[in-house]
Amino acid sequence: MPICPVCEYRSTEWKEVAGHLYSLTRKSDATHVMWLNRNLTIKEVDVEKLSEMLEEFFSIRGELSSWIREKFIQKFYGENPHPFILAMQKPNRAVLLGYVIEHQHFLKNWVKVLSEIIFKTDEDDVVKYELDNINVEYFGYNGKPSHYELLLRMGESLGMPRKEILGYSPLPSTKTAINTWRRIAIERDWVETLAAMHSLELVADKTLRKYGAKMHYFNEAILTSNDYPQEVKDFLREGYEADQSHAGEALTLVDKYSKDEERVQVTVLRSFDAFAKYLTARLERAMEFDSKVILQ
Amino acid sequence: MKIQVNGSKAGDKESGCALCGATWGDYYEEIDGERLFFCCDVCATEFKNMLKEVKNRTGWKKIDEITINGNFYKGRTCIAKSGGNEFKFYVRFNDNAEVETFKVTD
Repeated sequence: MPICPVCEYRSTEWKEVAGHLYSLTRKSDATHVMWLNRNLTIKEVDVEKLSEMLEEFFSIRGELSSWIREKFIQKFYGENPHPFILAMQKPNRAVLLGYVIEHQHFLKNWVKVLSEIIFKTDEDDVVKYELDNINVEYFGYNGKPSHYELLLRMGESLGMPRKEILGYSPLPSTKTAINTWRRIAIERDWVETLAAMHSLELVADKTLRKYGAKMHYFNEAILTSNDYPQEVKDFLREGYEADQSHAGEALTLVDKYSKDEERVQVTVLRSFDAFAKYLTARLERAMEFDSKVILQ
Repeated sequence: MKIQVNGSKAGDKESGCALCGATWGDYYEEIDGERLFFCCDVCATEFKNMLKEVKNRTGWKKIDEITINGNFYKGRTCIAKSGGNEFKFYVRFNDNAEVETFKVTD
C-alpha cells in the first residue's frame, strides 16, 4: 500500500502520496524536501511525474530482499560510491585507524540492537540466527577470535594501544547513527529491525558486484599484500567471509516474516541514511591522523 | 554573492538551493543583502552557519563567491572568495543544521 516515506501517510494510490509530498514541498517542509533530495531527485517535478518516480522507487520486483539489495547498491556502490568505500580501495594507516576507533562503538551497539530483536520475536530460527551473529561478532566461535577482538588487534597492529583505542568516545555522527538504530529497535517491529541492521552487512558482501556494484568494500589485493600487517588482513578477511552469509540469511528471514513491506522499506532507508553518516564519521576520524584524507 | 553548487550556478528558484542545489521548496532569506533561494529552512540555517564560520576564521566582512561540492552525507568541500583572497574548507552539519565538522583544507 503506497506510503509516505517520511510521515508514513498512507493511501491506496501513489498519486495521492505524491500530492501529499508535493504540497509539503511547496511549504518547504524540511523533512519531506530532504527525503526527496536524498532519495529521488533534487530537481522539482510535477505531481504526475513524482507519482511515477515514487512507484518506481518502491516497487518490489520479486522479493523484498532484492529491493533492499538494489537500494543498498544504489546508495553506497552506485555512480558515486561512498567516500569511505573509495578510501578502502587503498586505505592508509589513518583510514584504518578511523575505522577501528569508530567501529568499536558500532559493534557494541550492534549486539545490543540484535538482542532487542531476540526479545521481541517468537520465531526460533530468528533467535538462533541472532544468537549466532552475536557470538561471531562479540565472543568468537570454534576457538576463533570475535570480530570485535579482531578489530582491536587491527588497531594495535597499526601502533595504537588497546587502552587508547577504547578511550575514544564516538564522534557525533557515530552517536547520531547509533541513536537511530536504537530508536528503530525500540519503536519498530522486530522484522523491520532485522532488515534495518542486517542489510548493512551487505557492505562487505562480495557477491554485490554480480548485482551491479561498481567495486568491492575494499581492494581484495590487501588480503595477500605485504604492505599491511597480518592483523589488518585477518580483520578484513573475517568480514569478507562472514558478511555474505550473514546478510543473505537475514534477508531470507526478512522475506519470510515481513507482513508490511512498505514499513520495512521505510525503516531500511532510515538505516541506510544513518549508515552513510556513520561511514563518513570513520573518515572524519581518519582526518585526525592524516589531514589529507579526501572526503569527496 | 556568486554561488556554485556541484558545478552549477545556485541561489535562485530556477537554478536551485544555495546550499544543496535542489529546486524543491520555496524558502527565501536575505543574506549579506541578497535574497537567496533555499529548498528549506534547514539548508538556509546551514548556509548562514557556514558563512558565519568562514567570516569568523578569516575576518572577512563579506564573501563575494562560494563554490560548494558534496552533499549532506559526505559533507562539502568549499572555496570561499573575498576580494583577492581564497579560503578552502570542508564542512559538515548535524541534524540541527549546526556546523558539526569544519576543517581548513589548504
